[in-house]
Amino acid sequence: MSEANIEFKGSSFTLSVLHVRTLILADFRADLMKKVAQAPDFFYLVPIVVDIERVDSSIDYQAVKLLVEEFKFTFVGFTGSVSKEQRKLIRELGFSFVNSANNAVNNTSNSSASNTQNVEVSTKTVIAAEATVTKVEQTEIVPQLALFTDKIHRGQIRSGQQIYAKDQNLVIIGSVSAGAEVIADGNIHVYGSLRGRAIAGAKGHHQAQIYCQSLEAELVSINGNYWLSESMEKHWSSPAYIHLSDTELVSSKLI
Amino acid sequence: MARIIVVTSGKGGVGKTTSSAAIGIGLALKGHKVVLIDFDIGLRNLDLIMGCERRVVYDFVNVINGEATLNQALIKDKRVSSLSILPASQTRDKDALNKENVGRVLEDLGKRFDYIICDSPAGIEAGAMMALYYADEAIVTTNPEVSSVRDSDRILGMLASRSRRAELGLEPIKEHLLLTRYSPKRVEEGEMLSVEDVEDILAIPLLGVIPESQAVLKASNAGEPVILDVESDAGKAYQDVIDRLLGETVEFRFLVAEKKGILSRLFGG
Repeated sequence: MSEANIEFKGSSFTLSVLHVRTLILADFRADLMKKVAQAPDFFYLVPIVVDIERVDSSIDYQAVKLLVEEFKFTFVGFTGSVSKEQRKLIRELGFSFVNSANNAVNNTSNSSASNTQNVEVSTKTVIAAEATVTKVEQTEIVPQLALFTDKIHRGQIRSGQQIYAKDQNLVIIGSVSAGAEVIADGNIHVYGSLRGRAIAGAKGHHQAQIYCQSLEAELVSINGNYWLSESMEKHWSSPAYIHLSDTELVSSKLI
Repeated sequence: MARIIVVTSGKGGVGKTTSSAAIGIGLALKGHKVVLIDFDIGLRNLDLIMGCERRVVYDFVNVINGEATLNQALIKDKRVSSLSILPASQTRDKDALNKENVGRVLEDLGKRFDYIICDSPAGIEAGAMMALYYADEAIVTTNPEVSSVRDSDRILGMLASRSRRAELGLEPIKEHLLLTRYSPKRVEEGEMLSVEDVEDILAIPLLGVIPESQAVLKASNAGEPVILDVESDAGKAYQDVIDRLLGETVEFRFLVAEKKGILSRLFGG
């Protein structure tokens, strides 16, 4: 298998979210300056997502971006529960809109806060740079078990051969020879003897399992936890499946 | 169309050349027109086993390079007239062959012969790949021991992925398992893998089991393929192989250790 030079993978990060509660850029700037002055090093080049939920769509997105960049934040994009139209507008202006896992929840508490917008009170707490745990959900996240489809291989996997079921379960109708390698992002089923290496949940799928009619493997691995043959004594040469319990591999009798 | 059969194994010293020679002679004795090609460029052996080493003038590489015609290079066997040998070059290396030229030579040979037997070099490098590339059938020669079985498994993977048939998506190469140097006594003592063990691992049809025999070494040194030694176990086993290759169903022999009778025990026979 030739190794690709790049690879897209989903991952979760903690990002700082800057909640904007005013349309007046001068106020925004003044409060931001105050906040940054408290800990200039802490904010230097920190990736920042700007939450615009509390302000209406007339906000000057470009100016907001330049402003946070002026204070040496790394601007990531906008977030907040906003209308579809507004999201579309943001994208059209060339900014990314970051979906937050919290957005849906915020939606309900939103209406009461919005009518205080013009009042002086709002400027008191104009800006709060909160280190809110926000999930950046990218399109490629390890699919749930139910979403895996099957890659089916009929025949032996011979020594030196390698087969990879990307984002799929792998079903082999035949044996996997010693010196062969079978890899799947989902489960691996071997309708024959498993004598080579089997790597399930390759992209990090904890629930992945390996099933075989005769366990004689050189190595089995699930989500990065592996066993060499010496650990498989209990079900050696018999029908078995391997799964993860916490971070420990466990083998169980299949039939 | 000629049947192109490669005799291959991955591992060296398991009996590829001995088997090629025996199968070549055996098929020819049945009246078929057969050519044996030695693909082991640089380590020419087939001519020795066939006992024609003193008659080599031109070789396979000469034909490939257009330095000799097929007629000049082919050596007619003195025992069986329908058998010819195309010897390897002893002075060149495996890089002398390329797919295109080998294909052309095989095509020419296909017009004159019924069977083309390609004796493969050991290994999985260019030479071995060249020998198996054009094959229709493969005789995977294996000794009943783990390293040989592992290497045969590797070669089976190559047959399924690197051959012309695989590349063009044609019907896959027909695979045969030939188990050589089989000693039922040592199997019983647990020193050797049994036929069943090997069949279980390789999962291809069994073509023959050749018993470990003194006759093989004797035959090789004499340049008389062992199949001509009709009294020997190995000779008889190769005879069975030929019958199976030609589609007959023949029972397997020499799979169990001979029990010595009371008389031969008494007289030390």
